[in-house]
Amino acid sequence: MTEAMIRLEQLTKRFPGQSEPAVEELSMEIPEGEIVVLVGPSGCGKTTTMKLINRIIEPSSGRIFLEGEDVTAADPDQLRRRIGYVIQQIGLFPHRTIHDNIATVPKLLGWSDDKIRARVDELLETVGLDPSRYRDRYPKELSGGQRQRVGVARALSADPPVMLMDEPFGAIDPITRDRLQNEFLRVQEDIRKTIVFVTHDIDEAIKMGDRIAILGERSVIAQYDRPEVILSQPADGFVEDFIGSGASLKRLNLARVRDYELGDWPTGRVDEERPTLLAKLRASDKGAILILDAEGRPQRWLRPRDLQRPDASLSDIGLVVEAKVEPQATLADALNELVRSRVGSAVVVDKSGVYAGTVDMDVIMTAAEAMRKAARADARASMDAESSAGQVR
Amino acid sequence: MSADVQTPAAVADQPVAPGQGLWRYLAMPCFVAVALGALYLYVSSQELDRIEAVRLTPEFIAASTVRHLYLVGVSTVLVILIAVPLGILLTRPFARRVSPSIVAVTSTAQSVPSIGVVVLLALFFNLGVRIAIVALVVYAFVPVLRNTMVGLQQVDESVMEAGRGMGLTKRGVLTQIELPLSVPVMLAGVRTALVINVGTAAIATLINAGGLGDVIYTGLVQNRTIVTLTGAVLTGSLALMVDYIAGIAEDVLRPKGL
Repeated sequence: MTEAMIRLEQLTKRFPGQSEPAVEELSMEIPEGEIVVLVGPSGCGKTTTMKLINRIIEPSSGRIFLEGEDVTAADPDQLRRRIGYVIQQIGLFPHRTIHDNIATVPKLLGWSDDKIRARVDELLETVGLDPSRYRDRYPKELSGGQRQRVGVARALSADPPVMLMDEPFGAIDPITRDRLQNEFLRVQEDIRKTIVFVTHDIDEAIKMGDRIAILGERSVIAQYDRPEVILSQPADGFVEDFIGSGASLKRLNLARVRDYELGDWPTGRVDEERPTLLAKLRASDKGAILILDAEGRPQRWLRPRDLQRPDASLSDIGLVVEAKVEPQATLADALNELVRSRVGSAVVVDKSGVYAGTVDMDVIMTAAEAMRKAARADARASMDAESSAGQVR
Repeated sequence: MSADVQTPAAVADQPVAPGQGLWRYLAMPCFVAVALGALYLYVSSQELDRIEAVRLTPEFIAASTVRHLYLVGVSTVLVILIAVPLGILLTRPFARRVSPSIVAVTSTAQSVPSIGVVVLLALFFNLGVRIAIVALVVYAFVPVLRNTMVGLQQVDESVMEAGRGMGLTKRGVLTQIELPLSVPVMLAGVRTALVINVGTAAIATLINAGGLGDVIYTGLVQNRTIVTLTGAVLTGSLALMVDYIAGIAEDVLRPKGL
C-alpha cells in the first residue's frame, strides 16, 4: 500500500471526569483518494475520533500523521486550514453572504480577491448552484439542501487534500439526501479527495464508502474493510448485528445491472403470427413472452392464454410492461421492480428505451453467488498480503 | 427573476410592507411633537408669575436639556466601554467558574433604588457632575453586561465549531463570528441602559449635577405645578426620543442576513 494520507497511531481520548476513555488506542490508516466511513452505534466515539483528526478535540495520547507528517503537535489553526470540515448542522455564518462564507479559508490564506472570486464561482458550479444567482445571498435565503451544498463548497474552498464530514446529510429529508449523496459521489469522481465520513446509518455507509470502519464501544475497530467484504464476511457477531438482517439485500446495492449476464426471456415482434409466438414461448421454460415494437422497445407480456384469444389485436392484450430498469441501476433497484412485476421479471432497457435483457430471480441469485465468491477471494487475498507483509517485517 | 438576481439583498430587506414600515418610523416623532406642542400651547396660555417666568425661559430649559443629554451620553459611553469587554471576558472558557458570582453581584447593585445609589455616592464622596456620572454608570451597567453575555452565549455552537474547524483562531471566532452575531442583543442592552439613564439622570439635580431634574425639582420645591409639569413632559419626551433613535440604530447596525 502507498503511504496513507492519514495515519492514526494508538490514539486515545479521555474526557475529564469519565472513567472509560471515549476513544481507546485507535490505530488506522486512511488511504489517499478514498472515502472511509466511520460507522457505529451512537455513543461509540466515531464523531470524537473524527474530531481528533483536525484536533477540534485534542487527543490525550497517540499520534496523528497527515501526508506522512506528524501533526500531533502542529499549530491546530494551520492544520485545520489544510482539512475541509463539514458538520451536520452545516454552521454557515448567517451574517455573511454565500460568497463570503465560501471565501473564509482562502481569505485566511491570503488569496487575492480575484482569485477568491473565481474559486467561489467555480465551487458553486461544482455543487450545482448558479453563482450569479446565489453568490450574494445570505444563508437564511437558501433551502436546507442548498445550504448543505454551500457547506461542501466551503469545505472544498482551499482545495484541501483531506475532508472530514460528520453526518453531512443527516438533517436532510430522504429524497434530497439521496440526491445530495449521488451528487457528492459524482463530484468525488473528479476531485478524488481523501474523505473521512461519519454516519450512524449503515446503508449510507455502504453507499458512500470505499472502505467502512465499523466501530464499537470506545471507538474500537470491529472491522475495517471494503463494503462488499463487510457484508459477505462480517468479522463477528457485533458487525453482523450492526449490519442487520438485510445484509444480502444490502449487498445488492453494490452491484450494477450492467455488470451481470442478463436473463434470457423469449421475445417476439408485434407483427409476428400468434402460432410462431406460442411456439417460441413453449420452447422456453418461462410463463410469458415479451412483445417488442418495431423499434425494439418492450410493449407487453403475453401469457399462453392471451395468445389463445383470437379476437383482439396483439397490442391490446396481455400485461403492459411496467417494471423497467436501466443498465446503471443497482440489482436492488432491479429486484424491487421484479417483485412488482406480475411475470417475475424486470425488463432492462437502454437509454432510448430499447430492450437489452431481463433481470429475474435466476440473475439475482447468480449475481449474489458471484459476489459471495469474489468477497471471499478478496478477504483471503488481503489476509495473505497482511501475513506476508508481517513476515517481511 | 432578473431583478431578484441583481439585488438579492433587497429581498431580505423587506420583511414588512412599505406602509407599515414608514408608519413605524413616523409614529413616535409625531406623538412626541404633539405632546410638546400641547405643552407649549398650554404654557403660553397661562399667566406666569415671576418665579415661573425665570424657570421657563428657553435658555434655562435648553441648558438643562443639554446637561441632561451630557450626563446620559457620557455615562452610557462609559458603561459600554466597561461592560462590553467585561462581558466578553466573563464568557471566555477560563472565566466560566467566576462569571455567575460576578453577574450576581452586579445584579444586586442594580436592585438598590437609584436614588439611594446617587445619594450614597454623594455622601461618601462629594457633589457634582462626576459623581452623578459614576452613579449612572453603576446603575446602567447590568443590562449592558447581561445582554453582552447573553448575546455571546446564544451564538449557535455549530457556527463557532465550523469556524474553528476551518482554522479561524480563537480571536478570529470572537471578532468575526461571536461579536457580529451578538450585536442585536448587545444593542438591546445599550438601548435599555440609555432609557434607564434618561430617567435616573433626573435625580442628578439632588447632588447638584443639573439636568432636567432641576426644572422638575424647583417646580416641586417652590410649589409651581406648571414648572414641574414642563420638566416632567420634557424628561418623558427625551426618554421616548432616545429610545426611538436607539431603535433605529438597532435596525441599521444589525448585521445583514440575520
